[in-house]
Parts: sequence; C-alpha cells; structure tokens
Amino acid sequence: MVSTTVVGSYPRIGDTSAEQRLRRAIAKFDERGISEEELRTVERSVVKEVIEEQRAAGISLPTDGEVTWNDSQSHFARHFDGIEVDGLVRYFDTNTYYRQPVIVGPIRWREPAVLDEWRFASSVREAPLKAVVTGPYTLASLAKGDGRPKREIVHEFANAIAGEVRALRAAGASHIQVDEPAITRNPADVKLLADAVATIAAERGTAWLSLFVYFGDVASALGTLTSLPIDNLGLDLVQGERTWKALASQGSDIPLTLGLIDARNTRRDDPARAARAALTLKGELPLGESYVSPSNGLEFLPRAKAREKLGLVAETARLVEAGL
Amino acid sequence: MSLLTTSVGSFPKPPYLTKARAQHSKGELPDEGLKALEERATREWIAFQERIGIDVLVDGEQYRGDMATYFAENLGGCEVSGLVRSYGNRYYKKPVVTGELVRAGPITVDWWSWAQGLTKRPLKGMLTGPYTMMDWSFNEHYPSREDLALAFAKVLHAEARDLQRAGARVIQIDEPALSARTDELDLVVKALGAVTQGLDAKTITHTCYGNYDTVFPYFNRLPVDQLDLEMSNSGLDLLERFQREPLKKEIAFGVIDVHNHVVESKDQVRRRIEQALEIFPPGQLYIDPDCGLKTRTVEEAEAKLRVMVEATRAVKESRGIR
Repeated sequence: MVSTTVVGSYPRIGDTSAEQRLRRAIAKFDERGISEEELRTVERSVVKEVIEEQRAAGISLPTDGEVTWNDSQSHFARHFDGIEVDGLVRYFDTNTYYRQPVIVGPIRWREPAVLDEWRFASSVREAPLKAVVTGPYTLASLAKGDGRPKREIVHEFANAIAGEVRALRAAGASHIQVDEPAITRNPADVKLLADAVATIAAERGTAWLSLFVYFGDVASALGTLTSLPIDNLGLDLVQGERTWKALASQGSDIPLTLGLIDARNTRRDDPARAARAALTLKGELPLGESYVSPSNGLEFLPRAKAREKLGLVAETARLVEAGL
Repeated sequence: MSLLTTSVGSFPKPPYLTKARAQHSKGELPDEGLKALEERATREWIAFQERIGIDVLVDGEQYRGDMATYFAENLGGCEVSGLVRSYGNRYYKKPVVTGELVRAGPITVDWWSWAQGLTKRPLKGMLTGPYTMMDWSFNEHYPSREDLALAFAKVLHAEARDLQRAGARVIQIDEPALSARTDELDLVVKALGAVTQGLDAKTITHTCYGNYDTVFPYFNRLPVDQLDLEMSNSGLDLLERFQREPLKKEIAFGVIDVHNHVVESKDQVRRRIEQALEIFPPGQLYIDPDCGLKTRTVEEAEAKLRVMVEATRAVKESRGIR
C-alpha cells in the first residue's frame, strides 16, 4: 500500500497567538523570565501538536517536526568532539541560516544529539515515529574544513552519525532517515556518500533505514543511490525535476519516498497531476511499498500552508494507490 | 576624502516604535500616528549618524518591516505570507507573487526625499535587488525564476530612476541571496544589470552570509560601482582571495558582527581595518558593519557604530589618511 511520510522539519510557530507560544517562551527564556524546564514544557506541547497535525492530515510515518532544532548542522555538530560552532551561513537557497561547524580536530561522536527528542516524540504515539539525522556528506560539505581531504572528513562524520544511529537503535527507533541535501549540489561525489551510508547502515540493526536527498536532482547518481544498503530512498521530485527521467529509464529495486508535493512554494499542488506522474513509474519500482511526501522539510512554509501540504500528500497517496 | 564610513541599511527600531507597530497592526493606532513615530525614529537615527561622524548615511528603514516584504506590500501582484523562520527564534513574512507585478507609483522616494532633507551628507537610496526579491518570494504566477527576477528588475529599475530623479547620488541594491544558487549567478548579473542600466548615481550591491568560493569570480562582473560585503562574521577569510584576484570596484568592508550582542573593542575593529588596508587602498575602501543592524538593540547598534567610527578615525590619524 502506498504510504505517506514527511521529510522531517515542520513550522514550529504559526500565525495564531496559540501557535506562537513557543516563540514567546524562547524569548522569555532568553530574558531569564522562565526556567529551562518551563521552556521544555512548551516545546514538548508543540511537538505533540505537530505530531497531531500530521496524524489528522493522514501522514502514516511522522516525525517530531525537528521543533527543537535551530539548524540541521549545529544541532548535531555540538555533540561531536573536534568541532567548534561558528558564525551564521546561509543554508542552501532557503533564506534560512545555520551556524557553521568548524573542524578543529578528529571528529568523534560524544553524546546523543536527537535521542531525547525522539524518545519524547515517540512516547506520544503508539505507531512508529521516524528519527531524522543529518548525513555525513552534508555535514562535511557545509562545515569549514581544516585542510584535510574531504574523504577523510566525510568518513569521520560517518562514524559520528553511526554513533547516533547506534544510540537511536538501542533506544528502540525502528525508522531512521539520513538527510543528504548536499549531494544534489555535487552528485559526482556519490561514491563518498555511498561509503558513508555503508558505515551508518552497519549500525542500523533491524531498523528501517532511509536516505533522503533534496533541494535538487540526483539524475546522474541515481544508479548508485538505489544500490545503497538502505530500505528506502527519498527523492525531491520538484526541485529535482530532472530525476524523473532517470527514474523512468533506470527504475529502482528498492521502494522510494516520492517527494511530489512542493515544500518550497505556497502554490497549491494538484494531487491528481502528482499522482498521474507517480503512476508513470508503475512497473519501474515497487510503488505499492513506497511513500509519498513533500519535496523537503515543510519548515520553509507558513504553518497553515504546511498543514495544507500534508493534506495534499495524503490525497496524492490515495490517488496513487487507487491507480495501482 | 577616503576611508569613508557608512552603514548597510537597517537600524533597530526603538521600543516606542516597536510598540506602535504592534498597536497599528491590531488597528489600535491610525496610519498617521504610526508615521509620526517612524519619522521621529528616522530623525533620531540621522542625528545619531551625523553626531558620531558617519560619512554616507542611511535612513535606518524605520518604516520597513522585512526588506523583501516592504516592497511586496507596495507592488500590485504581490501578497504577504504567514510567518516563516529565518534562524533561531526569528521569523519573517515572505512576498507571495500572485499576479503580474505592477508598480503603481514610487515606493521609497517620498521617504528618501524627506530623510535626505534632514542632512547635508549623502543618504543612500535603498532597494532590495531583483534576484533576492525573486528568491525570497513564493511564486504562484510567473512560469520561471528568471521570468520573476526580470519582472522584479523592471519595477526596481523604475524605482531607481525615480530615486535618481529625486536627487539620490548613491543607490544600494541589496542582493543577500546572491550566492543562493551558484548555477544562477548569470541571472543575478542579468537582473541586477537590468536595474542599474543607464543610472548615473553611484550603485552599490550588498551581500552577506554566503559561501563565496564559487561566487567570487562574479564579483567583478556585478554591474555596480561598489560591492558591500560581510567580512567579520566569516573571519575576513576572503582577504587572501582578494589579494590574488583584485576587485576592480569599490568595496564596503564589514568590520562589525551584527549577529552578536557583544560590542567589539576599538582595537579589534582597528585591526580589521588595518588588515583590509593591506589589500585595498583607502580610496577604494569604505568601512561599515557586516549587515543591517536591525536585529540588535538600539544601545548595542549605537555602541557598535561608535566603535566603528572611532576605530576608523584612529586608523586614519595613524596613517595620515584624509
């Protein structure tokens, strides 16, 4: 059955006063007006709300919305040895920023980065909740290097992320996704990424492991990506429009997550059109075991639009299923 | 006159204006009431810049919310979105392009003329560039990113001409999104060129917080007279590249980190200026903060600007630069 998921992030505030309680709580915490525990309480109420919005829209494999993350790079790098976190840098073409990790020594996993967040989020839901980690190739690409070859840096980040995956798996995470947007900017590096994914996959145990690539196409790297030791490959088929042609000609033996709904634009997608496009791949990949999702995390949209997009994901999946 | 000081554009809004904007958005304060306070804050910032001795002034954008949304609010074919996150606990609203862009009349000219009337020093006309407007908008109308960028360029060119006609000698066209997609750098050059073509005023483009490795060769191709760059946040690491590949236009060199509450010491800023002078002659070099200061408090912004001017003055005195 065609299923539904999200890529990871979700707007943590909306336009109503109630939806802005986390913004107010963080501001108060910064002014030392509330304690860290009080901030966590508000944060967790938003995580619950975000999970509920996904459930209500019909998303079968949700995430915690990455509500506690300031950015996808420093959120992990702060928990690794050999890294200092520096100034703000633009995050791809999203008009958001990340604090840039600076490599100052051998990179090693020191402590879990997302384990507590995943534990809490999965405690409010009986069905699986997907844990998301930033991939080693992206971490290496967006960090400021120390002069060592990129291969070495990717390898060290891969071991560090493998440590995180090991911790998640030990805590019971059954669905883990590795995000690698940077590979869309340099698909020629896919061998580097493949080695890194193999390192992570060795730690997954029985967990379902997915790799998601977004913010562009991976047409030239698709063959390698669908041969990785993973259970699912997520593709941005909106900004990565060129991947369609490669998919049609090469297909995939592993199920995919089809990022069909535009997570970067407020324009309302046409689920019928998206479903028709997906159904052109019938016979080329195990469509019935695949997922439909937004093209990337929904945090770049206003909350109300993100909610609308969740509904469009569910509607598209229903239409694809009906067409099988 | 060389080694002049300037600012990038925005200054923080004083608490009375922030409060008034909130009241206005709830319908509790009429337009005239808000405008009077925006004028008061602008007067205060112009007076402050004159008092500490900044050479090329800005109006501080006290009447603007977000730099892209401000233009969206004043263009036909544009709406404004709900809130989206920028970084940490900061959020903004984005333009939503729902139809053909139409400029019914000048957008920034009245404010520029009024603020320039408050000072004899040059005041920059401030526009948000066409590539950035495109990249930061949700596009529900135009068929491609290029079509939308060039549509923005058309209305911004008309605005720049009106600013020049009103007397603006310096026009800054901000392109912070310049490095967003390295495969679109030719489009940045094309769209920016469509704005600056035929202008006699000095033109500047400001950009910041990008990864400039790929962008660097395009710096000399940008159709403006001056490049305004964030340098402190990135540890001045572009200086070495400028030494190898000289910039053939003026540079405004960011010496103040605008994302940090800590006010730099005079010695720290002085060292940054001295490092810049190892590469650029004083006549080519302007000194300013990394970016707009609107995210700081008024006190922090004032202290940072004071340090910048004092450090520049100290360097000029020690080197006999006039």
